[in-house]
Amino acid sequence: MAEGMDFEGLVASYYEPLYQFAFSLARDEADACDLTQQTFCIWAAKGHQLRDASKVKTWLFTTLHREFLGSRRRQTRFPHIELEYAAAELPVVPPATVNRLDAAQVLDTLACLDEIYQAPVALFYLQDCSYNEIAEILDVPLGTVKSRLTRGLGRLHQMLTGDTTGRQPQPPRS
Amino acid sequence: MNHDQARTILLLYRPGTTDAGDPEISEALALAKQDPELTRWLAEHFARQEAVRAGFRKIAVPAGLKEQIISEQAARARIGIRRQRAVLAAAAMVIALAVLSPLWFRHHRSDDTYDLYQDHMASVALRGYGMDLLTNNPASIRAYLAQKQAPADYRLPAALEKTAVAGCAIQDWQGMKVSMVCFRTGKPLPPGEQSDLWLFVIDRAAVKNAPPVGSRQFVQVSGLGMVSWTEGDKLYVLGMAGNEQSLRQYL
Repeated sequence: MAEGMDFEGLVASYYEPLYQFAFSLARDEADACDLTQQTFCIWAAKGHQLRDASKVKTWLFTTLHREFLGSRRRQTRFPHIELEYAAAELPVVPPATVNRLDAAQVLDTLACLDEIYQAPVALFYLQDCSYNEIAEILDVPLGTVKSRLTRGLGRLHQMLTGDTTGRQPQPPRS
Repeated sequence: MNHDQARTILLLYRPGTTDAGDPEISEALALAKQDPELTRWLAEHFARQEAVRAGFRKIAVPAGLKEQIISEQAARARIGIRRQRAVLAAAAMVIALAVLSPLWFRHHRSDDTYDLYQDHMASVALRGYGMDLLTNNPASIRAYLAQKQAPADYRLPAALEKTAVAGCAIQDWQGMKVSMVCFRTGKPLPPGEQSDLWLFVIDRAAVKNAPPVGSRQFVQVSGLGMVSWTEGDKLYVLGMAGNEQSLRQYL
């Protein structure tokens, strides 16, 4: 195990952000609790293999994300609806109320994003993870992370502000 | 980099993080400082971002989740320890069996010893038996035993040679055939009995610790007098209701 990391201390440090990340993905309290618990359970079994204590956070988020993907594969997949076709169902939040967002509004809006954008956006806001950390957690290249974040954040803000001008942000040059 | 490109790039910028180290972001930030419209948009963007971030962080964590994680892990650890102990106990048992089984089998192999053989033959004589062949002809007995591949080439002591035979039976001793030759001493027989002196003959190699050649061993087993001796490749056990003195009359 990474030096100086006792189990209880680790849980105290990370259970809240892990749960929030799990909830933002699963949007179900029981599932989020299970994912968080399973992540620590895996840590208890395999955490000793991690030599670098600075990687604990990334390791935990990576594990949780993999568990989420695994659980999703085991479930019947929800039918995918393209954002453009579901525009009428999107929760449009008036610009004036953006500053008074609550968790439910944010998560409802996040849920309307394509799945591939949800995890990077959640990590972007929840933990202020660096792009490299997000890339590591999601196991995708850095350029892909930036591209997904640009599109995901653009759409999220568009939905929250009700800006339907249709201008889609383009991924940054890499 | 133009105005729109800078806006797109600055979507990813979070003040107070390491994001500013990204060359594209730092270039976009520099452009924003010179562009009043972009400066205004950036301020609004920061406000929106902060609101969204605050929204995410309002996700309430269920009370007791931390304690549940810790207690469940402790329970798993206890189960793991119990399982480990069970595995160790099972391993210890396997090792003990591996160590003890040779002793066990050695002990059971000792069942083919002379003492047990003698006890077994005494019980045959005492509990009652059925003769396979009823005859007073010694030659018929030998022929029958030979036909059944039981010991038939036995040598009888002179006195026993002169004793009347009543028949014979074949007994089993751990898969080996034992010839049982039944004699009549001439004394009155108990009701239902057809003989009162019995000779058991077996291959000597089938019984461990048999008396050495040239010696005779007398014992009393459950009221039955028995004498044993070895001659050639055969072990002989002679029994009758009596004692050593009674048996010596037939040797």
